Amino acid sequence: MSGPTFFTSRDRIKGRPLVRTGLVLAGRYGTLVGLGILVVWFSIALPLYFPTVDNFVNVLDQCALSAIVAGGLTIVLIAGEFDLSIGQHASLAGVLVARLLISGLPVPAAIVLVLGLGALIGLVNGLIVTQLRVNALITTLGMGTVLVGINYYITGGLPLTLPAGASDYLPTLGLGRFLSIPYPVYYMVVVLVVLWVILNRMAIGEHLQAVGGNVEAARLSGVRVERTKTFAFVCAGLLAATTGVLITAEIGSGQIVAGDSFTLSSFAAVFLGSAVLREGDFHIVGTFVGVLLVAVGFNGLAIMGVASSAMYLFQGLLLIGAVALSTVSRRLGE
Amino acid sequence: MEVLPGAVHGLVGANGAGKSTLLKIMAGVERPDDGVVLCDGAAVTLTSPRDSRRMGMSFIHQELNLVPKFSALQNMGLEAVRPTRLGLVDSAARSSRAAEVADRLHFDFSLSRPVEKLTVGQRWMVSIGRALMANARLIAMDEPTASLAQRESEALFATIAQLAKEGVAILYVTHRLVEVMSICDYVTVLRDGKVQVEFRSGSYSEGQLIAAITGEAVAAKKTGTIDRAVGEVLLDVRHISRRPRVHDVSFSLHRGEVLGLAGLVGSGRTEIARIVFGADQPEYGVMDLDGKRYAPGSTYAAVRRGVSLVPEERRSEGLLLRQDITFNINLPSWELAQGKMWPHLLNLGKARERARDVCERLRVKASSSSTPVRTLSGGNQQKIVIGKWLARASKVFVLDEPTRGVDVATRAEIFRVIRGLADSGMGVMVISSELEELGMCDRVLVVVEGRVIGELRGPDMNEATILNVIYRELAKSTSLPPIDARA
Repeated sequence: MSGPTFFTSRDRIKGRPLVRTGLVLAGRYGTLVGLGILVVWFSIALPLYFPTVDNFVNVLDQCALSAIVAGGLTIVLIAGEFDLSIGQHASLAGVLVARLLISGLPVPAAIVLVLGLGALIGLVNGLIVTQLRVNALITTLGMGTVLVGINYYITGGLPLTLPAGASDYLPTLGLGRFLSIPYPVYYMVVVLVVLWVILNRMAIGEHLQAVGGNVEAARLSGVRVERTKTFAFVCAGLLAATTGVLITAEIGSGQIVAGDSFTLSSFAAVFLGSAVLREGDFHIVGTFVGVLLVAVGFNGLAIMGVASSAMYLFQGLLLIGAVALSTVSRRLGE
Repeated sequence: MEVLPGAVHGLVGANGAGKSTLLKIMAGVERPDDGVVLCDGAAVTLTSPRDSRRMGMSFIHQELNLVPKFSALQNMGLEAVRPTRLGLVDSAARSSRAAEVADRLHFDFSLSRPVEKLTVGQRWMVSIGRALMANARLIAMDEPTASLAQRESEALFATIAQLAKEGVAILYVTHRLVEVMSICDYVTVLRDGKVQVEFRSGSYSEGQLIAAITGEAVAAKKTGTIDRAVGEVLLDVRHISRRPRVHDVSFSLHRGEVLGLAGLVGSGRTEIARIVFGADQPEYGVMDLDGKRYAPGSTYAAVRRGVSLVPEERRSEGLLLRQDITFNINLPSWELAQGKMWPHLLNLGKARERARDVCERLRVKASSSSTPVRTLSGGNQQKIVIGKWLARASKVFVLDEPTRGVDVATRAEIFRVIRGLADSGMGVMVISSELEELGMCDRVLVVVEGRVIGELRGPDMNEATILNVIYRELAKSTSLPPIDARA
């Protein structure tokens, strides 16, 4: 069985029944409990600022972009592969859409072009992994660096300001509200629902799970392994580009490194999500809960005025903790 | 049950009878709800594999937990050798101990050879050597001959007899009753988690043993095959080669026919099956299916042309163990469970129904179609691997070792299914190393060193004749039979 290489240990968890039960609960409900604790804690510590409707909407808004890119990563991880290029991909998509608008392209055309290019980058990742059989970790690490290079080539290292015409239209897509809820929340919902349907109600979704679960068994069942994996990379690329475009829409300019941090936060969210109700399996609902936990954490810490050094500590430790939780959870499922 | 020093003790039982659980308790992997394990007359608590190893018990599983890249020497030293005071491996002590053990077991290979380059039989020797280096007084072996060729099995039996003579207790778990009858001093039969009966060597018959295992009388031998009328040629294979395992193989498979492929382990039968299934491409040669050219570039293409394969290793090649029965049964045919609406959403109710149908047809014992397959017994898992192809309309059905590690009753059911598939007009190819099983085929091809060297029919399809054909061929060639070098 070839799952993601994070899981090296296959031995069962032993020990006293109480410890075992505790680990089972942590594996299935750890992320939900963690989320609950954070919410209660911040609500007590920050009664005036944290538990308000406005802040709740704010948290959802912060979730939106992460959830879209993390959704793509979820697909790749389910297929048993990796994509480390998603953050830098989002950054590139952000500056690219700004660059295209500056060169006079209408907004819809620029967006379609950038998303298409995003899918194409995913396709290239997928083809390198499945046809040249380069390890996905290396492929996407290299691809990420290549994308940074293109990013600097386009921008010359300076942020790109949106031109006058587009600077009304594009930001509306990122900042506008419907029923006092920001647009990106709707995009997130649409993306997550579509991904859920693909994974749970379409043949390709079953194939993705089969390929991630046991490549040989999937191949010998007539599943087109290469095509399935490539599809996963295309999803990740398309969604990374989507997030990138939305970043620029929200900020109002093409920032060179605006998307980079999404790689880490997405991995943390997806792994946290694998310990939601299922034993270590990656799934969309879990990813959403994981994204929510990360967003609540950042939101609360930001309101408390924590220094950015602490923010990095939080994020790094969260990623390690998330993978540990996911591994424990998965071992219980063996 | 009691295991005595210097005795070979057989442990038999159908799948799910409790053999594995018993072994796990002894190995300290699982704990008994009730009862105790006595060692040298004193009750011991085994809470970890370490405890059990300290008691001098050693377990060799079918998969042989060896490190492929390590040499035989390194593997043998894994458990036994204490580091020096500096924490380094005491290689001098290890070498001398290993040489001693190698001598005792009459190793015919160098200790510095990496395990991945050894034959399966030699790997068993390394595993036994490892147990001896850890001063094992009891060695439990799980299905040791399942992937051994005849000659290697015989060498293993000799070693077992020798160890017993030296006072080591052997616990021998197997489905092969012939072996139990010939090498075991005692046999314990388990059924439904209970000790059914214990026989002493020489005090029982094969019929009694089978009756004890199954709880009912199963006909021990099939008698005479009827010559069946078979249809026109379905699959025509001409001169396919894929070195080093397949050389210029030609044969045809008819509608309604069960075609057996007989041969020793590593003779190239699995490789032929993989070519037919599109998992590997032949270097030369062509195939026709249903009168049309058949050159599958992938398993996907093969499946779309109506070819199915039940692979040799059900756990690693046939199943997604974490997924449930519905998922596994529908895996090759999810698109058939699609609704009519764009964008082809799956009808999960239909998928579950298909899984239930298949389970019923194959009499799979499981509480529901959402049971994860990892919790099923080996025989039931095998039925799932076969069952996943029943949901599709197939023309050619290839089964590679369909009865390996499966109990007597399930075996009979698998034969029934195979015959049923052929009767419905499919062409079925069966690979089996249990040569007496091939008596149920209409025709048997004998494969030696990647070549089809003969064809047997009717009463000739028995173990003695097949072995005779194989060994006569092997006597002709000077080289030894190719050995299965896969892990």
